[in-house]
Amino acid sequence: MADAVRPAPGSGVPLPAARADIPDTDLSWQRPSPRLLRARRIQTALATVPLALIAGLACTSVSATTGAAAAAAIVIAGLIAERFLARRIAAWGFAERHEDLMVRRGVLVRRLSVIPYGRMQFIDVTAGPIERSLGLATVRMHTAAAASDARIPGLEREVAARLRDQLAALGQAQAAGL
Amino acid sequence: MTNPPSAQPPLGACPGQADAARGGSDSAGSDSAGPYSAGWHRLHPLTPVVRAGTRLLSLIVVLAGIAILRQGQDKGQLFTDLFVIALALSGGFISWLVTRWQVADGVLRIETGLIRRDSRRFPLTQIQAIDVVQTGIARVLGLAELQLRVAGSDSSGGRLACLRLADAEALRRELLAGSASAARSAVIGPASVPPAAMPAEIGTAPVPERKLFRTQPGRLAVAIVLSRAGAIAAAVVAVVVVVLALTGSTAAIASFFPALLGMAAVVWRQFNSEYGTRIAAVPDGLQLRSGLIQTTAETIRPGRVQGVRLVEPMIWRLFGWCRLEVDVAGPKERRENRSEGRRLRAVIPVGTRSEAEQMLGELLGSRPDPASRPPRQVRFKAPLQYHNLGWGGDDHYVVAARGRVCRKTTWVPLEKVQSFRWVQGPVQRRLGLASVLLDVAGRRVRADVEDRSAREAGDLLTRLPALARSARARLG
Repeated sequence: MADAVRPAPGSGVPLPAARADIPDTDLSWQRPSPRLLRARRIQTALATVPLALIAGLACTSVSATTGAAAAAAIVIAGLIAERFLARRIAAWGFAERHEDLMVRRGVLVRRLSVIPYGRMQFIDVTAGPIERSLGLATVRMHTAAAASDARIPGLEREVAARLRDQLAALGQAQAAGL
Repeated sequence: MTNPPSAQPPLGACPGQADAARGGSDSAGSDSAGPYSAGWHRLHPLTPVVRAGTRLLSLIVVLAGIAILRQGQDKGQLFTDLFVIALALSGGFISWLVTRWQVADGVLRIETGLIRRDSRRFPLTQIQAIDVVQTGIARVLGLAELQLRVAGSDSSGGRLACLRLADAEALRRELLAGSASAARSAVIGPASVPPAAMPAEIGTAPVPERKLFRTQPGRLAVAIVLSRAGAIAAAVVAVVVVVLALTGSTAAIASFFPALLGMAAVVWRQFNSEYGTRIAAVPDGLQLRSGLIQTTAETIRPGRVQGVRLVEPMIWRLFGWCRLEVDVAGPKERRENRSEGRRLRAVIPVGTRSEAEQMLGELLGSRPDPASRPPRQVRFKAPLQYHNLGWGGDDHYVVAARGRVCRKTTWVPLEKVQSFRWVQGPVQRRLGLASVLLDVAGRRVRADVEDRSAREAGDLLTRLPALARSARARLG
């Protein structure tokens, strides 16, 4: 938790220092675009502000101060969530190895998934309205197992398309039966 | 699919063909060309009755109850009742009328639907397993249903309901033989056995069947009573008895009635599905038959096993009992009772440790034991689970044991693993621990190597994918 934060070269997102407890840190990890932070901030704001307004108006029927307090509490909660966004985004990363793809994520609960290319059944590229307006997309890998959740959010659209094509080609080349 | 509706032969031509084919099957017996190889076939004419099944029965019971309450004051009402029943049956009858199937060119085709034609193709090579299922009514009428299990997405399994039992068994053998000869199959044992020599109750061919296990009904009943379902049922009954003793009025019991009914259904379903489980080794794998009223027969091919789980609930351990379950590729959707499809197939519903060991040897061959213990600091994180945790692995399998009250040991073949996950929660990080989870197809089985030292977990995450790769390469 107490990782020193240093700015990564060529990236607006601060990166945590190399973590000795995560295996294979010597890999060259690729990261989501720095614009993902902006997308997540917009999403947080879009969730917080209307909620604060509604709660504030609803509680004003009790009294004006409770309305203001409710709105303020929600706004503060949104601001606290914003503080964690950068670290959560910095924790995302993926590395293409010879035979498999590694995806890591999580700050509190750290996860690192290894998915052999041959096991990928299909690959989704999705982009919500905010991601789309910032030129970002999410790549999601599906295997036959329901539990293997490998997704990489906030990739530049070209990077996402390249990754999708590359994974599909590798998956086809190394496909294995069930 | 290739047949547009306009190009179909007139439906009236079908029953004659089907009858001829059935007659042929009876006389030819073990004709290796297969009695079903040509033409379209119908399902059995009594199919609507079986399909309507319990719904029809309950409808009749309800209508009879209403009729009795009215004491026959209104004769006209009787015709209305009969009309309702006929209406309920006619839907099934139309569905039977427009359904037909065919085996040709290594593909099973099932066509159905009156207004919206639905044509499904099942290439025999993709069939993972075929079950012969008999519901209660079907059993009385001597009919059976074929359920196909296909690898891939949910709801892709097909069913042929209903055929005569002997026909269903014959068709099942023929389809399996077709799938074995067409596919580079994962069959263990003599795959070149001609279809005629496949095991059968009918036919005179020698039966190369080796009995492995048979459930004792008494032990199964005791075991279910001592399992979680039994414990909950006992608790509900105890509450009812206490309420009855305190209030002395039966009215208070009425509110518990749905809960009692639900518990009875759960316990009954488990007993019904697992009663008389018999396992026999046959050329293409392990044959599993079970059921009291609704009987099921299926063949588990060792190459299709995604995972094997040994379950030892705490109370069962006092008796030295355990339960052995397998997960086979392909979903299993039963329209009759969905909840059963979600459970794993119990190879040994309840048996002794030595029986389970023998069956494990039959399913997996040589296998590792979960002998490697977790580090000592795990006791702070998982005090209840600590004494059950453990893992082991070799070139073929990874085994992981876990569970607080109920010890669950899961074997997973390395070549079936879909993804590896390394997970470290905040408490684990404080204690220098991490877990490695191995996912296999489906959502039912997973080998969780929990709470290892961080260094060992990291080492596992680098070594296991490589081992899995070479295991896949060995299979070709």
